[in-house]
Amino acid sequence: MLLQLNHIYKWVKQGGKRVFLLNDISLQVKEGEFISIMGPSGSGKSTLLNVIGMLDEFQEGEYDFLDESVHTLKEKHRSKLYKEYIGFVFQAYHLIDELTVYENIETPLLYKNIKSAERKALVADMLDRFNIVGKKDLFPAQLSGGQQQLVGIARALIAKPKLILADEPTGNLNSKQGEEIMRLFKELNQEGVTIIQATHSESNAEYGNRIINLLDGSKVKA
Amino acid sequence: MFRNYIKIAWRNLLKNKLSGFITISGLAIGLAACMLILFYVAHERSYDKFHTDAERIYAVEAQVNMAGDTIYMNSMNSTVAALTENASPAVSSSLRLKEEYKPIILKSSQQPNTQFSEKNFSYADTNFFDFFSFKIVKGTTGAVLSKPYSLVLTEDMAKKYFGTQNPIGETISVKKDSTYLFTVTGVMENMPSNSSIHPDFVASISSMPTMIEHQIDFDSDVFRLGSFPTYLKLNSAEAVKSVEKTMQDLSVQGNPSATDVYRLSALIDRHLNVRGSSTPKYLSIFPLIAVLILILALVNYLSLSTARATLRSKEIGVRKVNGATRKSVAFQFYVESMLYVVLAFLVSVVLSIVLKPWFFGILDIQIDASFFLNSSFLSILVGLLLFTILATGFYPALVMSAFNPIENLRSSLASKMRGARLRKVCTTVQFVIAIVLLVSGVIIHQQLNYVRGVDTGLKRSDLLMLPLQKTMGTNSTPFRNEIEKLSVVTNTAVTQYPIYKGYNMFFASSEEIPEGTGLPILAVDKDFFETLGVIWDSQPEDEHFFTNKEQVIINEAAISKFKLGANPIGESLTFGNSSREIVGVVKDFHFETLDAPINALALFVKSKTTGTTDILGKSGGCLYVRFQPDTDVQILVTNIESIYSKYDTASPFEYQFLDDAFDAMFRSEERLSQVFTLFIILAMIIAGMGLFALATFSAQQRIKEIGIRKVLGASVVQLTALLSLDFMKLVLLAFLIASPIAWYFMHEWLQDFSYKTVIHWWVFLGAGLGALLLAVLTVSTQAIKTAIANPVKSLRTD
Repeated sequence: MLLQLNHIYKWVKQGGKRVFLLNDISLQVKEGEFISIMGPSGSGKSTLLNVIGMLDEFQEGEYDFLDESVHTLKEKHRSKLYKEYIGFVFQAYHLIDELTVYENIETPLLYKNIKSAERKALVADMLDRFNIVGKKDLFPAQLSGGQQQLVGIARALIAKPKLILADEPTGNLNSKQGEEIMRLFKELNQEGVTIIQATHSESNAEYGNRIINLLDGSKVKA
Repeated sequence: MFRNYIKIAWRNLLKNKLSGFITISGLAIGLAACMLILFYVAHERSYDKFHTDAERIYAVEAQVNMAGDTIYMNSMNSTVAALTENASPAVSSSLRLKEEYKPIILKSSQQPNTQFSEKNFSYADTNFFDFFSFKIVKGTTGAVLSKPYSLVLTEDMAKKYFGTQNPIGETISVKKDSTYLFTVTGVMENMPSNSSIHPDFVASISSMPTMIEHQIDFDSDVFRLGSFPTYLKLNSAEAVKSVEKTMQDLSVQGNPSATDVYRLSALIDRHLNVRGSSTPKYLSIFPLIAVLILILALVNYLSLSTARATLRSKEIGVRKVNGATRKSVAFQFYVESMLYVVLAFLVSVVLSIVLKPWFFGILDIQIDASFFLNSSFLSILVGLLLFTILATGFYPALVMSAFNPIENLRSSLASKMRGARLRKVCTTVQFVIAIVLLVSGVIIHQQLNYVRGVDTGLKRSDLLMLPLQKTMGTNSTPFRNEIEKLSVVTNTAVTQYPIYKGYNMFFASSEEIPEGTGLPILAVDKDFFETLGVIWDSQPEDEHFFTNKEQVIINEAAISKFKLGANPIGESLTFGNSSREIVGVVKDFHFETLDAPINALALFVKSKTTGTTDILGKSGGCLYVRFQPDTDVQILVTNIESIYSKYDTASPFEYQFLDDAFDAMFRSEERLSQVFTLFIILAMIIAGMGLFALATFSAQQRIKEIGIRKVLGASVVQLTALLSLDFMKLVLLAFLIASPIAWYFMHEWLQDFSYKTVIHWWVFLGAGLGALLLAVLTVSTQAIKTAIANPVKSLRTD
């Protein structure tokens, strides 16, 4: 078992009333799965991904990640955990504008204190694999959306995570670019990386081997 | 990692050139001002500390009670040094050092036809170069002053008199009343600018007993005052009390009725303890200004960097998601601050080197360029650098590293507004400082003008003063006659000393004050009253009041000091054995500094002829020349100089306008005023730049809001007002805080003056309006630019 959510509740107070963002979510994810989370805007897809990615807190429930109880961990341990095992891919790519393609991909390695020579080798592999060696010295603004997302994925993969969390990874891309990205995810999944993606699109969701439907923070039984 | 941080900081700097420029130059200006002041202060505090045994060297000082006033003297009899050294085991060595107090004329054997007038000529004991740490460049350190008529000169002087040739063994003739021939035995390094002892020439003291002019200096063996500044080197600083006791005993042994109190004053303290010097005042005010300017610059940096930080929130979010801990983000921003500060520091070093001559020109001081590399100054600089890095890096690092990644990536409004309150505080602090400086500067300037305009009881304009030397001698009469013949000259007069520069102190008594008290005396000729425009209270009826030796003219202050009658004519004052009848009273006029109320004064008046021969000729007095208004003073001075050179070839020609002599008394206030002007300009530049950058950021942040408002029908004027109003409120607040602070400081400052200007309310209002105007100008340009932008464009950015 990679991770397990048990009765997760997350809410915000609005005018004294609780508005539930996540309402009693339980979920088990095994290693090697490819899960698509679907649902309309505001259904809690991103919140769920953030909770799984340990970027966001929740009020009630239990969360175990690789046999560690995330809900009892201190901030420091939690960030160590996600640094080690989780990679993030965003709809808006979120590359650092002032860094080149090469440097963007390198960033997670810097925070893991990996030696310069090893970093070079790892980044070179990644550039090679994604066929963007020629673009390594360009800045994000000089790339197309699809290329930027490729860099984003390369960056998420560089630290060899067990889990990739992708929030609408194709949301800002045209259909052809989107398809390429999804095919890439499929490949990665076949290589053993667990992927959880949030998406609007039925066709993208089909790439996954399990679909979870959310509505107003609750799981909808299919 | 480190390189990565530097890289991204550098790219950010290039990306936001304007704000980067403003951030760095603002900090650089502040640091430069700070550096210059520190440079000055460090130099002042380093005086005489370069001597190896500096902390063990003391000057002998005597506290003398003279006519009720305590006077400090530091010239001792020639035997005091040796007597003390013999009597006290705590004294390891002693030194006598006598300075020529008037310029003397020197000629070298190399250029027998060129003579120079030199001021810094001293005589010293043989051990001068062992006692102090001045270095001998040519010659043998221990032996250069061992023989009579030996002379050591500085490298500069060696160049002046002998060019590139070796001066050792050459001779220099010294013209006093007689002419003496000195042999150059050594060359010493130029005196450092932080030495309070700075002779250009040091002659052996053993020459003096055979010089007619100085024989009088050796006529007594008693321990008492004399004409030699005397220095002692003690075995340890703890021995001060015992040596003082020894000196006191020696003094009483020499003369049982002596009342003088002998003390030691540490050499390293002497520079700052000079009585009546304005330096200590500067030393307390300037660091305060330096701190203010530095705070201004730091605050500016802080508010700009937090503003800039909001633009970086996305990057921080991305980094955190990619594994950056709070610590590493904090470190990154620290590194960035460091880069900015180091750049600013380099710029400020260049800036302060460029501004240095100007700044020290205002202060009228000379500082060796080599002092820039002085270890204590360098360590202060390094301290300043480290402090700035710490101070500037701390807050941004703290704020930025606390950013929540999810909020940042959503680029919510909340994270954009972060630090807004801090920036408001920063802006307010900046303007408080700027307004305080502005108000202070204006009031200092007003005070200066006020004091200059005070009626001092004399007609100061169109009056030239010519201090003459003894070398004029009997030529004084034809010299004065010839000057009076010049068509533009209306009047001349003679006094013993140039006014504001000195007077004699006599002990005088009256019937009511039989025990007597000190009374300043000025010997003048009868034309003094008309030429200087002195106003009579009661003019002597006898036209020839000046011919009689037993008569005296006094001022009003003397009437009350000696408790004379309302009309004291006919009463008398006793000076020692002789009694003088009061024949006239003049209205009070200032004859010394304006800081004190006008003292009592007695005028000993002589006829024009005797005044010219006795006061002017024999002792070297001062000739006043009143000329017609609108005279071309340049031509007048040239004419007088050519007349002068006919009658006195030995002493150089000197002159001063009475106006200038009067102004010279306010030089320290004048300098303060100029320094303030400089710093006000700097403060305004920094505050203005900071505000400009902040306005730019605020406009950028609200670009969407502005767009929406515009679509909804807001006019450019309304939008400009919306954007500017926030800043105006801050300036107003700053004005309210600054006014009482400025009032308090200036009120305190003015207490030092006996003539003070009134602090007007409109100065504050003016400074406030000035600051407001600055704010309006800087903010509204940005605001208007944003307000007239096409809303469609700005709405697309989000």
